Amino acid sequence: MTRQDNFSLATAAKIAWRESRASSVKFGFVILAVAVGVGSLTGVRGFSSAFYAMLLKEARTLMAADLSARVFVMATPEQMAVIDDLGRQGIRSTQVTETLTMAASLKDPSKPTAPVLVSAKAIDPALYPFYGEVQLTPAARLRDVLNENSVAVSDDLALRLNVTTGDMIRLGGQDYKVIGQVTKEPDKMSGSINIGPRLLMTRSGLERAGLLNAGSRAAQRFLFQLPIAQPSTATPPPDVEAVRQTLKNTFPEAQVIDFRETNPAITRGLETSTRFLSLVSLIALIVGALGVATAMHSHLQQKLDSIAVMKCLGARSSQIIRIYLLQTLALGLTGGLLGIAVGGAVQLAFPHLIARYFQVPPSFVWDWASMAQGLLVAVFSTLLFTLPPLLSVREIRPNLILRREMGETRGGWFRSRSAIAVSGGILVGMGALAAWIAGGKLEDALRLGAYFTGGLAVALGVLAGVAWLLLRVLKMVVKIRTLPANWRHGLANLYRPGNQARAVLVALGLGVMFTVTIYLVQQSILSEIAASAPPGMPNVFLIDIQQAQKDGVTDLVKRQPGLDKPPELIPSIAARVVKVNGQPVETMELKGFQRRFRQSRNVSYVTEAPKQTQVVSGAWWTKSTAGLVAIGDDAAKVLKVSPGTEIEFVSSGKTVLARVAVVYRNLAVGPGSNTEFLFTPESVAGLPTIYYSALRMQPSAVASLQQSLYQRFPTVSVINVADVIQTVQEVVDQIALVIRFISTFAIMAGVIILASSVAGTRFRRIREVVILKTLGATRKRVSRIFSAEFSILGATAGLMGSLLASGFANLVLVQFFKGEWKFNAPSILVAVVLTAVIANIAGWAASARILGQKPLEVLRAE
Amino acid sequence: MPPSPSAAPIIAVQGLTRSINSGTHLVSILKGIDFEIPRGQFVAIMGASGSGKSTLLGLLAGLDTPTTGAIIIDGTDIARMAEDDLALLRGQKIGFVFQSYQLIPTLTAEENVLLPVELAGDGRADVSRARELLELVGLGDRLDHYPVQLSGGEQQRVALARAFILKPPILMADEPTGNLDSKTGQQVLELLITLNRREGATLVLVTHDRQLASHADRIITLRDGLIVADELVSEIPERV
Repeated sequence: MTRQDNFSLATAAKIAWRESRASSVKFGFVILAVAVGVGSLTGVRGFSSAFYAMLLKEARTLMAADLSARVFVMATPEQMAVIDDLGRQGIRSTQVTETLTMAASLKDPSKPTAPVLVSAKAIDPALYPFYGEVQLTPAARLRDVLNENSVAVSDDLALRLNVTTGDMIRLGGQDYKVIGQVTKEPDKMSGSINIGPRLLMTRSGLERAGLLNAGSRAAQRFLFQLPIAQPSTATPPPDVEAVRQTLKNTFPEAQVIDFRETNPAITRGLETSTRFLSLVSLIALIVGALGVATAMHSHLQQKLDSIAVMKCLGARSSQIIRIYLLQTLALGLTGGLLGIAVGGAVQLAFPHLIARYFQVPPSFVWDWASMAQGLLVAVFSTLLFTLPPLLSVREIRPNLILRREMGETRGGWFRSRSAIAVSGGILVGMGALAAWIAGGKLEDALRLGAYFTGGLAVALGVLAGVAWLLLRVLKMVVKIRTLPANWRHGLANLYRPGNQARAVLVALGLGVMFTVTIYLVQQSILSEIAASAPPGMPNVFLIDIQQAQKDGVTDLVKRQPGLDKPPELIPSIAARVVKVNGQPVETMELKGFQRRFRQSRNVSYVTEAPKQTQVVSGAWWTKSTAGLVAIGDDAAKVLKVSPGTEIEFVSSGKTVLARVAVVYRNLAVGPGSNTEFLFTPESVAGLPTIYYSALRMQPSAVASLQQSLYQRFPTVSVINVADVIQTVQEVVDQIALVIRFISTFAIMAGVIILASSVAGTRFRRIREVVILKTLGATRKRVSRIFSAEFSILGATAGLMGSLLASGFANLVLVQFFKGEWKFNAPSILVAVVLTAVIANIAGWAASARILGQKPLEVLRAE
Repeated sequence: MPPSPSAAPIIAVQGLTRSINSGTHLVSILKGIDFEIPRGQFVAIMGASGSGKSTLLGLLAGLDTPTTGAIIIDGTDIARMAEDDLALLRGQKIGFVFQSYQLIPTLTAEENVLLPVELAGDGRADVSRARELLELVGLGDRLDHYPVQLSGGEQQRVALARAFILKPPILMADEPTGNLDSKTGQQVLELLITLNRREGATLVLVTHDRQLASHADRIITLRDGLIVADELVSEIPERV
């Protein structure tokens, strides 16, 4: 019996539209679920890319460029040709020269001051810095005031030379006018020479001084700025690696670094936050789609009668599916559009919310490609997740109209086979979406999609299994006669035909699992990030403290006002590596910057593991004995050493033999923090030692410290890095804040979805309330029974979901964030209680009206 | 036994059984039913609650599939027919009237009546016939009303118009007056019979109301899934 199917789209659309209009509140909820999912997806993606770009900009300011190449000899014409070639590709470059020289004040020719060793930095003020800015006191733009006849000096140098703005100083036989003090220098920590106080001048000024003779110990840094990345592509710009490689090939002896490795705390923070934010985006997507599926399922359950009637009147399944497909599409589209608006609002609102933390607010860009993607993802995931309820239309028997009460177990092999096929399709589809969202290389995206599909399949399987098992166990509990009647009824409700407790449990459990996973991972990441840049990091360093000055300097510093943290003395000994496992270091293959290991290095000693270090291999000594050394991971890689390796050093003519106990990674910043060899005190006893001191003080108090120190200990230099430390800490704080904010957003989305899966059971309760009330149950009694059911449902799903989340979060932490396995029992307990509370609130919000309904209204409608 | 009609029956049922697996045990609802209904006959199926009469109606209408046996509707065995083919058959040959009206709440009275036409998809949304039928059932002035704006009796009258819109050769009615007061019920029944005579359809009515059944040509009585009586009303002796 065939006939052309002319059931017009217009008729389907009319029915779909009328139904949607009649269920506007419920569909409002569905649209909200999609909107929350898409909103968090586009919001998180859009915001995180803007935030990431901003963070990278901050990271760039720490080196004033995208890339830098540090060389110790003058560039050859061939090398300069390569730089010119890069310039033709839109890559801007500038040269920074740093050299040590003596400077003297010409303020009062009758009272000449002693010349001071300065670290002169010559730049091109028209280009330098590419990122960040040099702040001067009195305030002025560097390019406006710095010329070949002028210099800017650090506060320390101004003090030592006793000069102020407008005074003249002499440098290399030439005179220069002091145009002010340098109060902020973005790439201060990236400089090559940090020995003397800073003097900033132009390159032409340096040439005029004639200090750059062949063979001078000047350090050259080439700074590069890449063309601005397109907003649609996630930064870093794609060619940073290529440019880096070109530079490495051109300057084989040079140390080439890019903005991603300026500061360990920022680098790790960026890596961690990017991974975490991608994870959250994906989870937000599933949670949103899950909400749609639950809502659509509940909607179709309510429409069973209409569907059965239409089938009685001759409608085929495909015609009915068409109606609900149109409805789903419209919901997905509306939710998607709303979600994009929500996402946009999130991006717009966020900088305002945290304005005081941001120096440069992240720029907001309407990224059309990402919005179109959000919309497509909304429609596709909505369709994907509503596939099972849509296809279940085929299973609805028209006979339902005549025999409502007769629940029949149908199905068997065919049904389970098609269910498996549909589930498989959904998982693969979700994997494809995940791969698409992840983007990047096809291979990587596909792998991520595959992981995602696998993970989701395992999670769903485990949840379904555990739900089945738990329901079995609870069924036994129902039989306990001594259980209070309300609880017994509540429990029994989970087994009434059509309750679908298992489906609700799986949906709720999945929601709880994702939400708790985000929370647990977030907590762990936040504590790790906080540890990488703890508040109170030293921001002032004193260098070149002699053994005899040690106590005097400490004493003086301790008496200074504005000291936040007492000084910490770091010993420094000059030592040279001679042999590694018997092999002379001269015979080792060392290239470029690696050759530093053939020269004398500053080493130190510690009694225990220093703060802000991470063990890479081996272990720190528990008892300090002679002959042990710890080595930084970079040095260990270059010298090819591992715990157990024997290294021979020479210091002040004495040989020091030490075995490597541990290879560590340094997370701290500042002078002394780049010490690559840390001995036990016994290993280096008796060797001449000078000291660094690291302290934390209020930036305003640094000048007075400099003055006091200069008067009593003129040879001790003060390096003030308060501004740099502040930048590092701000960036790390911003990362933490964004992680908190976005997690909260995703967790809220999870809570809404959780609520919707419980609220979706509303219509099934209507008849039950009526029957109970007809039989004489009071409202109070009915509400107690339902509360018991909601609580059991919520607590069970909470327990199941949070236990799985605990495992999942640990897996994620260990696999992707190199964290540690932890079991967080209090979080699980809180999740169980909270889910029960949410289930009650949502259940009651949706069912409260039913309680007030007159039984006859419902019975007559039957 | 009623006399066999000379023409081929429009409905024939042979060895019909229906069992339901409720998950824990198997319930036999119909245990072997045989009968034939000639074209144009008005048959009432009677029986107490649980006797299997609604199940039988559902099977006759192709709303459900039998466990064993054959159901021949207008020469076609529908017992093993695919779901969609059954839907087509219903659309073409069977009109329905349910106890609880079963109008689509989001469609107006007129749209509800026209729904089978649209589902049949023959492209001719016969608005004039729908209006004529609604006039006939006394609702000519309520075309644009939604079900919720109509009384129970009015809703059932819309359902009657809907049942006849495609001029089906068979009309199935399941306790059509069951939800109505006796006066309204009587009006609806009279309308049903009048419309049925006008359209010349075969009417199968399920009821437990003997008074209602007395309007039929023939009464089939079920008990515990079996036919216990199959009589022509004209041959039933007057009961006191």
